[in-house]
Amino acid sequence: MDDQIKKIITAGMEHLTSTPGVCEAEVFASVNAILTSRINYTSHLPCNGLEEPKSTQTQGVGLRLVFKGEDGLKVGFGQETGSFTMDAIESAYRKALEGAVHDPDFQGLPAPSAEGRVLWNYHDEKVLTLSDADLVSLGWKAIHAALEECERSPLLGKHTPHELGLILGGDVTVIQEEMAIASTRLGPVQDDTSTIIFTSLTSMIEKTNSKGSGWSVGTHLDDWSGEAGSMAVRRALQSAGGKEIESGIYPVILAPQAVADIANNILIPSLRLDMFYAGNSTYQGKLGERVTSELLTVYDNGSKKGLAGSKGITCEGLPTGKTELITNGRLSGLLSNDYETRRMLRDEKAQDKLGVDPRAWQKALVPRNGFRFGPGGGRNHASLPSIAPTNVVIEGINGTTLDELLRKVGRGIYVGRIWYTYPINGLKAGDFTATIVGDSYLIEDGKISDPLKPNTVRINDTIHSVLNHLLGIENRQTGVVLWAADEVIYAPHLALSQLRMSKIAEFVESL
Amino acid sequence: MQALTIDALDSIKEMSLTLLTAFTAERAAAHYADTRIELSEERGAFCENGEAKYSGMDYGFSFGVRVLAGENSISPGYFGLTLGAEALPRFESILKDGLNHAYERAVANARWKSRTKNRFKGLGESLWDTRLAPAEICRDTVAAAFEIDPLSISPRRISRFITDISREVMGLTSSIIYNQIAASTMLLRELFTSSEGALLDQTFAITHGITYVVASGSEGVQEHYDDIGHQRGWEILENGYHGPYLCNKDLRTFSRELAQDTVELSNAPALRGTDDSVTVVTDPHFNTLVAHEIIGHPHELDRALKMETSYAGRSWLFHTLSHNQRGKQVASPLVSAYSDPSLPGFGHYTYDHEGTRGKKVYHIEKGISREFINSRQTAAILTAEPNGSYKSTDASLVPLIRMSTTVFEGGARDPQDILEEVDHGYYVVGHRIPSIAESRENFRITARKVYEITQGKLGRLFRDGGITADSRDFLMQIDAVGNDLRIYPVSNCGKGQPMQSKKLGNGGPTLRSRARLTGTGG
Repeated sequence: MDDQIKKIITAGMEHLTSTPGVCEAEVFASVNAILTSRINYTSHLPCNGLEEPKSTQTQGVGLRLVFKGEDGLKVGFGQETGSFTMDAIESAYRKALEGAVHDPDFQGLPAPSAEGRVLWNYHDEKVLTLSDADLVSLGWKAIHAALEECERSPLLGKHTPHELGLILGGDVTVIQEEMAIASTRLGPVQDDTSTIIFTSLTSMIEKTNSKGSGWSVGTHLDDWSGEAGSMAVRRALQSAGGKEIESGIYPVILAPQAVADIANNILIPSLRLDMFYAGNSTYQGKLGERVTSELLTVYDNGSKKGLAGSKGITCEGLPTGKTELITNGRLSGLLSNDYETRRMLRDEKAQDKLGVDPRAWQKALVPRNGFRFGPGGGRNHASLPSIAPTNVVIEGINGTTLDELLRKVGRGIYVGRIWYTYPINGLKAGDFTATIVGDSYLIEDGKISDPLKPNTVRINDTIHSVLNHLLGIENRQTGVVLWAADEVIYAPHLALSQLRMSKIAEFVESL
Repeated sequence: MQALTIDALDSIKEMSLTLLTAFTAERAAAHYADTRIELSEERGAFCENGEAKYSGMDYGFSFGVRVLAGENSISPGYFGLTLGAEALPRFESILKDGLNHAYERAVANARWKSRTKNRFKGLGESLWDTRLAPAEICRDTVAAAFEIDPLSISPRRISRFITDISREVMGLTSSIIYNQIAASTMLLRELFTSSEGALLDQTFAITHGITYVVASGSEGVQEHYDDIGHQRGWEILENGYHGPYLCNKDLRTFSRELAQDTVELSNAPALRGTDDSVTVVTDPHFNTLVAHEIIGHPHELDRALKMETSYAGRSWLFHTLSHNQRGKQVASPLVSAYSDPSLPGFGHYTYDHEGTRGKKVYHIEKGISREFINSRQTAAILTAEPNGSYKSTDASLVPLIRMSTTVFEGGARDPQDILEEVDHGYYVVGHRIPSIAESRENFRITARKVYEITQGKLGRLFRDGGITADSRDFLMQIDAVGNDLRIYPVSNCGKGQPMQSKKLGNGGPTLRSRARLTGTGG
């Protein structure tokens, strides 16, 4: 952590607390960079291979200030990008003062938590000092791993690369985050530095209309390799010659990518306290009740070393930690930040919204997830804290092996990767749709059988049906980072007794 | 520290062009470079349930550069940075530093490309030297259009305005359990310079209002949101806007009507899905999302060339350079569709983010597949003319191929006649949420409202319904096109890595076709 950041926070706090009219102050400062090696390799179309070696960076200060005036308390937010100087503090102060509003739900800046910080020194200095040449080499190493995998395939002997139509797309992304915060309630400066490196690649063989995914996620450069490139091509090669299926209800196994997609887009948004405040969670009024199969447990854990989404403190300066969300099928807790927790504790309609008295359930509403994540990552000084997950871990009681799950399903579909998973009638309705885009197979006699042809099946079902028809849960998780998602999801394979699917887009075959 | 105003770009306009020209001239391996610099001034506010939550005014300052360079082959490198007011006096050195990073990345990238071509003989053949299709080199200044200057509006005024509306919405009926209203107005100035000599200075006024309502009724809870947006001043929210193709009521009326719809829907039965296709008449608001998802997106050339395979998907219209749908029938002869940046709304611009003049591009002409929207790099691959569709949401981010305003072309039929001719079918009104297949070959889109049509008359109203179809089937079965083309804002089109959420425009007239109904009804 650059001392400059901590010094400006200390100086800023001294200045603001002595400024007339300011009765509470919070200074947040951060430096963030997102470095991306975006890959686009096509063997049948002119391409660059590494399409975009690029980066975006931002740094600055953000202030939350409470002003006491003739018309009562007002809270304002102001930011200044670029520098860590007293001029920047002064500029942000003026913006906060100009925009301050009377918000009756604002009960003051976050106060210290009863929980203590448990995660320290978990970042990688090598990731923080990546050079331009390093960034470029990350992308090309993944491409080389992919092309080497393709070279080993007998398909390349039968077809020219042009005929094969090999596609490799995706990226290697590095996120560097440094933040510090202090406030009149929290006391001296706290700081946090984190690094993430993840790879997300898709390969297609257009000749065989087959598709595979490769990915990796971690926090240290030494743990990274281009293996995701070979994984993507290997999976695409394995899924050549896909079969179609008829519309119907099938027993299925959802692979970690598919589980993560459903969790990110359908389940987790309904586990946020602000959704309950608005009356819009699909689990409205059900805190403490059984909402899924008893096999299922879901929690957010932002403080576990080694998990890629971990942070030492939240962007409100509070310790991260483990929040039980669903425990053996019961809705046991919700993701929250300080503002939403305190608002719900005072809400006259809270009992209806949650289904329980929030004062008796405060342990389920601990604000461990107040973050200021920017698009694509980073802890953005120019944003107010909202609610975001960190590492969402999905697990089951009596977890078992994938082979055992396959045996339980017997005959059905292995759904490897889904796409465009949306709560199609809004979160509250609980129904969702998605299409199966790759890495998928038929299951016959309890074993993986023929590949399923990509883009020929649409899933139309509800989150309630999915999570209440669990046959079993795998005993290991795989870390998954989804496009544009804040969190890392550690998902196992899930076996379901039923999932509703429709056959789509038969016309494409005749084009 | 003085807050920056958009006028500050005056001081760096000529410098950036001079620097760029010198930069490429001084480096033997540099072939091309461009810079995008932007400055914005914005005011906005946000409220919930009649209580102010935030108001503020701020500026934004950022830049991004692209360099094409290399010794034995040519590759791109990029660099982007978000800045503050303190950066202005030393902007020249910051820009130079950014160009150096982009250059170093491009050169390293080109070396790896050469090495890869040598290492993988067959698989390396498709690696080409990055080139840009020729385009007119323009120098121009484009002013913003507005009646009420966004910079004349204080955050307090915005906050008071929306809080008052939010209270009014809350007071309509006790079944409204939550509402959220946000509004913003801004001036955005963009400067583009290239080593080819382009110098473009464009300013946009952008004003946006969003309303979100949750209501609880006899049939359950309903949530709906919608927005008003245009490249105009504050007047579009306080007074409404009435222009050709694009019109909106003032934010107060708009919010009240959305709230009333939400309440009505919370007391309406859910639509029941069908196994077979039925006659559907879709209104201009619904067709805005249809045009976006199954016309605009599959006609983006980066998707067609597989560059989005890992993110936004490919296009069923384009398999390979020699095997694609161009020139073939993909829709009913009644259907034409195009993108046109000269149309009003969020999608309006004169030049894109690589300095190409925006052009009207027909995607489908009388049912026949025609052209894609492109960038100079993708146009070079297809040996097509660049049509000015390369845009980013912020100068620090790398542009992507983006819709400007993509619409179904208006037809000749009176929409009322289109409805009255239906013996039995469904009138699908207002778009809600989409889910589209990977190559845009199939879609499911939900509507705000669905009415049963019986003998040409509207009957029962249903909630939580929509339609699903294979894209080509839906387009081929269109048998009536209304004369009521309307354009609406689409304010959150996601594409890119990191994700860029873009404001643009879409629209269409009333259409009649066939599709399966979807719904939560039992």
